[in-house]
Formats: sequence, structure tokens, C-alpha cells
Amino acid sequence: MEALFALPQQRMDALTGWLAANPQLCGWFTSIVRFVFPVLALLILIRSIRSLLTVPHLPEVWAYLTLPNGSGEPLTHWENILGRGGACDVVLNYPVVSRQHAALIRREDDTWTVHDLGSTGGVTVNGAAVEGSAPVAYGDVLGLGGVETVLLPVSPEEKAQRRHRRRAAKPASPWLGLVLLTVFQVLCALQLILSAGAQATLNLPGAFLCLSLVMWLYFLTMRLLRRVGFEMETIAFFLSTLSLAITASSAPSALFKQFLALLLGLVLFLILGVFLRDLERAKHIRWLMAAAAIGLVSVTLVLGSAPQYGAANWIRLGALSLQPSELAKICYIFAGSATLERLFRKRNLGLFIVLTGVCLGCLALMSDFGTAAIFFVTFLVIAYLRSGDFATLSLITGGGVFAVLTMLSLKPYILRRFATWGHAWENASAGGYQQTRAMSAAASGGLVGVGPGEGWLHRVAAADTDLVFGMLCEEWGLIIAALAVLSVFTLAVFAVRACRAGRSSFYTIAACAATSMMVFQTCLNVFGAVDLLPLTGVTFPFVSNGGSSMLASWGLLAFLKATDTRQNASFAIRLPSRREDRRGAALAPRDTEGWEQEADDEED
Amino acid sequence: MKKIERRALLCLLLAAALIAGLALYVGRWALNGGRWASYAANRHLFNSSGELAVGRVLDRDDDVLSWVDGAGRRAYYENATVRKATLHAVGDRGGNIGTGALTAFADRLSGYNLLTGAYSPLGRGNDLYLTLDARLNYIAYQALGGRKGAVGVYNYQTGEVLCMVSAPSFDPLDPPEHVEDDPAYDGVYLNRFLSGTFVPGSVYKTITLAAAIENIPDLFTRTWTCTGSTDVAGEAVTCPHAHGELDIYAALSSSCNGVFALLAAELGDAVLEAYTRQAGLTARYSVSGLNTAAGSFAFSGLSQGALGWAGVGQGDDLVNPCALMVYMGAIANGGSAAAPQLVLKTENALGLPSGFYRRKSTGTLVAPATAATLAEMMHRNVTETYGAGRFPNMDVCAKSGTAEVGGGNPHAWFAGFLRGTDTPYAFVVLVENGGSGADTAGSVAAQVLDALVNGY
Repeated sequence: MEALFALPQQRMDALTGWLAANPQLCGWFTSIVRFVFPVLALLILIRSIRSLLTVPHLPEVWAYLTLPNGSGEPLTHWENILGRGGACDVVLNYPVVSRQHAALIRREDDTWTVHDLGSTGGVTVNGAAVEGSAPVAYGDVLGLGGVETVLLPVSPEEKAQRRHRRRAAKPASPWLGLVLLTVFQVLCALQLILSAGAQATLNLPGAFLCLSLVMWLYFLTMRLLRRVGFEMETIAFFLSTLSLAITASSAPSALFKQFLALLLGLVLFLILGVFLRDLERAKHIRWLMAAAAIGLVSVTLVLGSAPQYGAANWIRLGALSLQPSELAKICYIFAGSATLERLFRKRNLGLFIVLTGVCLGCLALMSDFGTAAIFFVTFLVIAYLRSGDFATLSLITGGGVFAVLTMLSLKPYILRRFATWGHAWENASAGGYQQTRAMSAAASGGLVGVGPGEGWLHRVAAADTDLVFGMLCEEWGLIIAALAVLSVFTLAVFAVRACRAGRSSFYTIAACAATSMMVFQTCLNVFGAVDLLPLTGVTFPFVSNGGSSMLASWGLLAFLKATDTRQNASFAIRLPSRREDRRGAALAPRDTEGWEQEADDEED
Repeated sequence: MKKIERRALLCLLLAAALIAGLALYVGRWALNGGRWASYAANRHLFNSSGELAVGRVLDRDDDVLSWVDGAGRRAYYENATVRKATLHAVGDRGGNIGTGALTAFADRLSGYNLLTGAYSPLGRGNDLYLTLDARLNYIAYQALGGRKGAVGVYNYQTGEVLCMVSAPSFDPLDPPEHVEDDPAYDGVYLNRFLSGTFVPGSVYKTITLAAAIENIPDLFTRTWTCTGSTDVAGEAVTCPHAHGELDIYAALSSSCNGVFALLAAELGDAVLEAYTRQAGLTARYSVSGLNTAAGSFAFSGLSQGALGWAGVGQGDDLVNPCALMVYMGAIANGGSAAAPQLVLKTENALGLPSGFYRRKSTGTLVAPATAATLAEMMHRNVTETYGAGRFPNMDVCAKSGTAEVGGGNPHAWFAGFLRGTDTPYAFVVLVENGGSGADTAGSVAAQVLDALVNGY
């Protein structure tokens, strides 16, 4: 091992020695490269961001429901609500049909089930009354309060044709962005070596080299598996690159650990994405996830220790320190999401509220109010998506506020942490110490930054985590810092727009919750650092130095990946199989002559 | 599903809040970024003592006046007199001298601006070259001989200020501790040349004369008799001694108060005010971004006698030395002059220019024909009164002033310019309570100009 690293280390020493002898050259390099970084960042991100923001989200068609008047309504989700109301997925405008009459739900194996949603007219399948729910086969007559409809499959030819058309709305090609990102990483590593000078170790180029390799490996593998959507990964890898640079600047010894966390995060992302492909599987594991969420936060409460400042949300295992509450976020979202089927079976949020209560209680006990706030906002998002009930949620929010006030009156010292909020400059040497330093350093960065590794903010406590936005602004400049925030915003907009072509509410709720979590976390981090909000000590997704945070960010991204229903875009969505297409083909309507055979992207 | 799609708009609200917050931050950054960056804890620009830790100040001959030493502290030129002579141009460690480059040009020294931030190659900041010649400052400071006052010399064609001294001064490496109580350090932080205003005395007669030349057609054929006390509309305006029979040339060279008071009364307050304003004596100049103090004159509502006193630069008249110097430059330069500049150039550590310095010109401060007449008459002052021999190899035009300040010796003024294509210099010397303008201030001017024109 020693011998293996001896030669590169020699080369490295020679390089740093030579650079030390040519400070003028280093000056030139930094002077130029600091303008190159924002340009590269723009080129890398703009295509991905534009692509994600303008995805047309063409709905998929899973089956047809022919109405008495002869027209065929396409079923564009796995979970469809039939009824008279305007918010239904298939609107049946007959007086005998209830406003929200029945739910027609497709399973993974292309079988359908109808659920009576307490309709007045009742539901029948082939004339037999349905009590609760009943399976519906293709060709069956589905009666809704006497209105007869027929469930018909989509012909393989039409499926192929639709796929072909959907493929036209192709995701942006990732290759240019990937090459530019690699250039970005190389320049970044070089610049960091320059600024570290004699302190530079092999870790530095090593970590960035590994990052580039992992990135290319991921992209090439996915392309071999015929996946074409890479915008989210481009964004995530870009933000992760920033994270490595921040870590290299503030805690060079932790650089490789951060890279390993990134690698683990990527693995978690893959596992979670593949796992989410199968909705049945995902549905069954929800209980386990709820238990895991509670387990993770409570184990922290029992074993947790506080560093010299901040919340007691760390677990130390020898040299390794973990923040289990970060991983609990993934479990929490998993547990909170629900399919439509479940939403109708169990209308109340009781158990979910209990889960939230336990998590929040544990977090409050370890004084991790930032994370508690994130859980609470995520709870509100999930609860609203599930119930749509503003009144109850207002009540719960009121209760939350009351709980916070009670806690503050019991523990008034907590209030002191918020006392300087908005007055950082008047308390620059006390409560506003970190924020004023962050702002001063951020202003010093200007639009293009002073160059990676050239800042001083990293000497301030928690600069690479809670104040990471300040470090971004200082070393990378406002343009890149704003792009990082814009990336998170883009993910949120994508998740919301993806609802249109969402297959199951499970995916939709999970994706919306995951991005809301990221967005709110970014809000707390960014605005906390610059005194627009109280400094709560939460991390910037992907960017902050910290293994648990990196891991969690990649994990959350898997939920988004599972909603990307663009043709062949996402590995978290199974490619259509030929066997599936053939089933029920005989019953499919044949009025669409001229469908062409398009089968090159199908899986057997 | 459609319902959930609608509910998901809530998430967009959250995302919009993120963008709104970011926009708010960017707005604050644009508004306050400069203030945030100049916070003393900003280690890009300041050391742990709060001193500007980047940038060198040099004079026009590449003499380094101030730099940052190996320990990160501000260092200054090795000669103590040079340090004192350039204090008001370079600035002190504590940032008390507002016109000092370390304070006034901190942004140019650090290279800080909102767009490119506090970055400077090699972290050394920029080299700021002042237009000053430290040697001239040294000679001027020596010539003042411990008296309070101000000396300024500038090139009226390029605007470069070659000499700017304000006294009293102190050694920035050994600052006095009790400045407030010590009369020797009265107004020591003030740059008298840029920021002070003083009673002008007879140097103001150049303004009255400009107005008279243009408004009194028979000015050059008139004669007056000075008995030492002239009756101006019932009030007495006195001269130090009786000048006897005078034409306008003699009235200027002997600086007869009586004649100029009569002219001022005849011209009236409105005309005097208009010419004072045109001469730029009531305006502020921006000297490389440093605003000079504006002079003040109160003509309207004065009695004829008081107007007479105002016309000879007494009464409530106050003039800024720099503005007077620029007016002298305009007379020399045919009516308008280059606006004064203190920064010659700035370079970053890679030797690239880090700023763009454009030459600017004043407006017409005096009509060209009048300027030519004035110049000729001021030249006669030198040949007939001050003595051309005091200014070897120079074509000097000047006007002295001995301004009564009520208690103590009068302020001594000497202002003027050099003609000749090789010597386009205008100058002003003020010695507070220095006595006779022509003698005291004139000899300071003579020493500085001698060094400038004739070398050592």
C-alpha cells in the first residue's frame, strides 16, 4: 500500500514545490479559473434545469373505459377516481353517478380492482353488486349506479406508438454536461491543490478522481440499461462536487470520508430507486419504515451526544459519527406516503400523526429544533396531500405553535438563540457572530468568488455545514451559490409537475414530500446563514459537509426519480415488458389502424 | 390523482418562498455588500488589528509609502519626515485620516467591488500609485517649518496633484495619544488642503478683478488715490499704509484694499456672487472620489462697506485651498483646467491595471480673454512686488494674501501658477497665522517650485 502511493505522493510533492516557486503562475490560474467556474456551472446546470422545468409530462394510458355513449376514456394513472365531480380522473356526467363514486386501481401485474367509495348508486361488475372492492378483468362491464362502462386494454401497437411519441419529448442529452462537469472537477481539484500549497495531500486529487470515475460509471451503466434521463443526477453530482470542494477547503482530512458518504448515498439512491419500482413491495414495507424512523430518532435520544455546540443529535461509533435523524427523514417519507387505495380505506391520519408526534418529541428532547421544523413542515405537506383538509391542518399547526410556546415558556433559554434574529450586525460578537462572518465573507466573494480554498469563513465554527451558503458565496461566488439554490427549486417544480403523469399517489406524495423537505431545509440553511431566518443549524442538501446529510440527500432523490415517468428516463421505473403488452391484446380496440410496431425499447 | 395534483401546488408555494428569500438576499447583498465586506472581521481585507491588510501605496516615482509587512501589519516609508509629510495622503493605521488612501481608497487597494469581490491575485491587493511626488511633499512640509497650513501643487493640464501637504501632522508609526487636548494637534486629522476652508484675504482679489475687467469698461483708464483709508459708502476700508496714486495694475500689485473695495461695491453683490460661483470657489471638487470642502461667501444683504470688505476677501468669506488652486490653473490654462486627481493608476499583483482613470476637465471658470489679462497682471505682481529672482527659471504669475483672522497673526496665502509648456503647474500655499503672504507663504511656494522645476 505504502509503495503504491509513494510515487504519486512524490509527484504531488514535486508539483506543490514547483507551484510554491511560481506564485505568480498560481495567481494567474486562480484569476482566470474563478471566472471559468460560473460559466461551466451555468452550462452544466442550465440544460438540466431547463429540461426538468419544461418536461411536458405526457400522461401514460393504462387502459380505456368505454362509456355508454361509445366514447373511450383513457385511464392515465394507476389509481383513478371515477365520478361526477370535476376533480375526478374520469368524469361521468350522469345524475345517478355520485360526485366521487368509485376508484379503479391497477396493480403491478396489470390487474384492476374497483373500490366503491360509498356511492349512493352502488357499483357492479358484470351485473354483480360490489361490496367494498372487487377485481375487474379486461372486457368486464363496470356498472356505476347503473351507468355501464367497459374496461378495455390498450393494444400493444398503440402502446408502442404512444411510447414512440413520448420518446419524442426526450430528456436533454447528458453527455456535454457530464464532460463539462468533469472539466469542472479537474479545475476544482487543481485550484484546491494550488490553494492548499504544501498541505495538499493525495486525498485531494484522489477524491475528485474517484468522484469523476463514479460519475462516469453511473452514467455509462445507466445508458447501457437504456435509461436516458440524467438531469437529476447531473444536478446531484454537481452539488456533490461543491460539497467535496467545501470539505477540501474546510476539513481536508474529512475529504475521503465525504466521498465515501457520497458513494454510499449513490448506492442508497440505487437501492431505493429499484425498490420503489414495485409499488406492492413499497406499500408493504411502510410499517417497517415507520418503525425505523422511530427507532432512528429514539436511538439517538438514548445514545446521542452533543458536540461542543448545537444539538445532541450525533451518535459516535468509534471514529465514525452519525446523525441518524437524517436517515429517519427517508423512512418518515416512506411511512407517510400512501396509495389512493389506502387513503380511501383509512381516511384519518391518526397513525401518521402519532408517528410525527413521536419523531418531533424525540427531536425536541435532543434540542434539534431545525430538524424538528423540517419534520413538521414535511408532515404538513404529506397530511395536506393525503387529506386536502385545510381546517384540520390549521388546527394541527395551531397546536404546534402552542406546543412551541409552551416549550419556550418552560425552557426560556432556547429563546436566546433566536433573540439576535434580524439583528445580527448589532450582536456581531455574540449571537450574530456566525451570521455576520458569513455575510461578510459572502460579500467578499462577489459574483464569481475568491476561488475554492481561498476563503477564510471555514475558520468559523460550522462554516461547512450551517453556514455553507456563506462559504459557497465566498469561495464560489453568488452565481454558483444561487444556482445551487435554483437546483433545489427545480427539483421541487419537477416533482409537482410530475403529478400530472403520476402513476400512484404513493410516488407523488413521496416525491412532493421529499422535495418539500429539501426546499424547506435549504430555506432554513440559506436564510439562517444570512440572518433572514434564525440560525437553526440544518444542512444544505448535498452541499454541506457531513456524511449523514449527503446520504439522506441522495436517498430523498430516489423518491423523485420514481416519479420520472418519461419514456425510459428513470431506472426507478421498470421498462414495459412484452409479456405484459400481449395480455388482453385480443380485447383491445382495433380502431387505430396503422399503429406501427415499435418494440426496440422493450424488455422481455 | 387529479386531486392530489391540485394539492401539490402547496409544494410550489414552498418553492416560491425559497426563490423569494433568495431574491431578498440578493437585493440586500447588492445594497449592503460593500458594508458587509468592509466589516473589520473580514480577513480578506483586514488583519486582526483592523488595519487594511492588503495593498501598497506608492508615489508617482515608485517610492513605496505604505505596505503590509511580513507580520501582516501596515508599514510606512522609513523617513519620519516623509511619513509626516504624506500622512494626509496615505492615511494612518487607525483610519482617522479620512482623506488618506488607506481609508479613502481602501476599495481600490483591496480591489474590492461587488462583482468580483475581495479577490486579489496572490492575496496581496493592488498597488495604488498616487499622483504625488513624496519629495515635493517632504520639501513643502519642511518649508512650513512646523507652522500649520496647507500646500498644494498640481499640473493644470493633466490634473495630477504633485504635492499635497497639510500641517500639523504626525508620524503614523508613532501617533500622538492626546490629540484632542493638545493645541499643537489642532485639527490634525483634517486635510486642510482638501477639507479645510479659510479666510482668503487678498488672493480673492483675483475674482473681484475678473468681474471688474468684464463689467467696468474704463477699468484700465481709471486711477485712484489711496490714503490708507478709503470711504466706501460711508464705511472705512483700510490699507496697511497709503498706496498713493494708483492705476489698476498698481492696485493689484500693491494689493490696495481701498481700490478693490470700491470696485466690489460698484459691481454689486449679484455680480460678485456670480463670478465667485463661476470660479468654482463655492463648489465641491471630486478629487479621485474625495470631495473637497465647499467655500462659502455671503454677499447678499451686505452693506456697501461690508461688500467692499468681502470683495477683498475679508469678512465672512471662506475658501478651500484646493478650489483656489484649480482657479489658478484655469487662469493659466485659458479659462478651464484639468480637474485635480490623486490616483495615478492602480495595478494588481500580476501587474495588470485594475482600474480606469479618466482625465476630467473643469467647466469654464473664467472667460479666456479675462484669463489672459489676469495672467499678465499677476505676472506683473511677481516682477514688481514679490521679486522674480525668488523663482529662478520660472515664469510665475501669483497673488499673495494676508488674511486678517481676528486675533493672532494673519493667515499668509500665496497662490498662482507657472506659464510655459514645460511647467504647467498651479499652486497654493496657506500658512496659518503666518503673517505676510508674499514673504511667508511666498517663500514656501518658492522652495517647492524650485524643487519641482529646477530639481535639487
